[in-house]
Amino acid sequence: MTQFGAWQRVDPVFERAETGFSVNDDSNHSTASGRAVEVRRVLVEAAVVAVVGAVVAFAANAISPRGLALTRNYFPSATGESVRPPLMPLVAGIKANGLQWLDEARAVRLFKDPAFREQRILFVDARDVEHYREGHIPGAYEFDPYHPEKEMATVLPLCQAAEKIVVYCTGGDCEDSQFAAIAFRDAGIPNLKLFVFAGGIGQWMTNGLPVETGERNSGAMRNADR
Amino acid sequence: MKTLQSIKNGCAAEMAGLLARGFLGAVFVCLGLSKALHPVEFLKLIRQYDAVHTPWLLNSIAAALPWFEVVCGALLLAGIAVRGSALLVTGFLVLFTWMVVHRALALQLGIPFCAIKFDCGCGAGEVFICRKLLENAGLILLSTWLLAGRGRKFCLRYRLTQHGA
Repeated sequence: MTQFGAWQRVDPVFERAETGFSVNDDSNHSTASGRAVEVRRVLVEAAVVAVVGAVVAFAANAISPRGLALTRNYFPSATGESVRPPLMPLVAGIKANGLQWLDEARAVRLFKDPAFREQRILFVDARDVEHYREGHIPGAYEFDPYHPEKEMATVLPLCQAAEKIVVYCTGGDCEDSQFAAIAFRDAGIPNLKLFVFAGGIGQWMTNGLPVETGERNSGAMRNADR
Repeated sequence: MKTLQSIKNGCAAEMAGLLARGFLGAVFVCLGLSKALHPVEFLKLIRQYDAVHTPWLLNSIAAALPWFEVVCGALLLAGIAVRGSALLVTGFLVLFTWMVVHRALALQLGIPFCAIKFDCGCGAGEVFICRKLLENAGLILLSTWLLAGRGRKFCLRYRLTQHGA
């Protein structure tokens, strides 16, 4: 027993297994408290990174020319609230927003109407400038509803003078034409003048109708004979 | 006394940790930048999740999240506050994965789960859901590994509160 007791003292692992008590309990406590300190340290570090990251992120957004305006409602609806993603067919969504819609045949008729040349009928492309330059309905003005400050000063007087305004975007599920039309309506353009071409440039191109590339009136045309 | 084999194993593990840190950091910087440079597109994509309806909150998420990812990725690349950054990255990845699965289930209309393809707003365009989940699982493993204490080699400041690794 004495021998065993002496051996116990030199092998605390065995002792713990046999007796449930270890002469190294202090070191176990220190290991456990060391882990707690380490966990706390990682959590504090994560909190510091989160705060610094948030500050840098909002500063970068504020500096970036493409940054978002935090308080603007980019997805307006007839109720003035941010609308949910498209859960209904596009035309139903246009109607729900109190807007009028056009099919392709009517859009083409307006495009070929002499009033279009006289700017009494206005076409407005509600996509960003990169997509606009890749191809738009000839003579259409660019108006990005997510950056209305860029073109509003140019387009709004033309809208006020026009009798009909046809707004379009990509087509399909694209709602940007509705947001542009709502922006015009909010700027004082009567609802009766505003028409959303639901098929958009996608349907226009698919059917081989004329497309202008680059700036407005650049002269670079595809399907000019149509 | 360390044997040669244990030293070799230790070096290999540290090199693997370094690669994991570099890879994860680079992924977060690249994907974060691709979103940060097109914030409107990202805003439209996160709106599709139908999780937030308050304009200022939705805008704040779309405006800050990509840059936040860039910051976390840059910290991992530089080896600053590695475990804190890894904890945040792990949290983000778990949250994103849960949201992506939720959205995929909402889109699953009579087609096999793995055939679902959509732009999840993750920064890499349209992807098949199963591939995305595998990618995220791999990234979560890497970030958890870093969180466990790997990737200490060539760090500018592994811990914020204490010098050295």
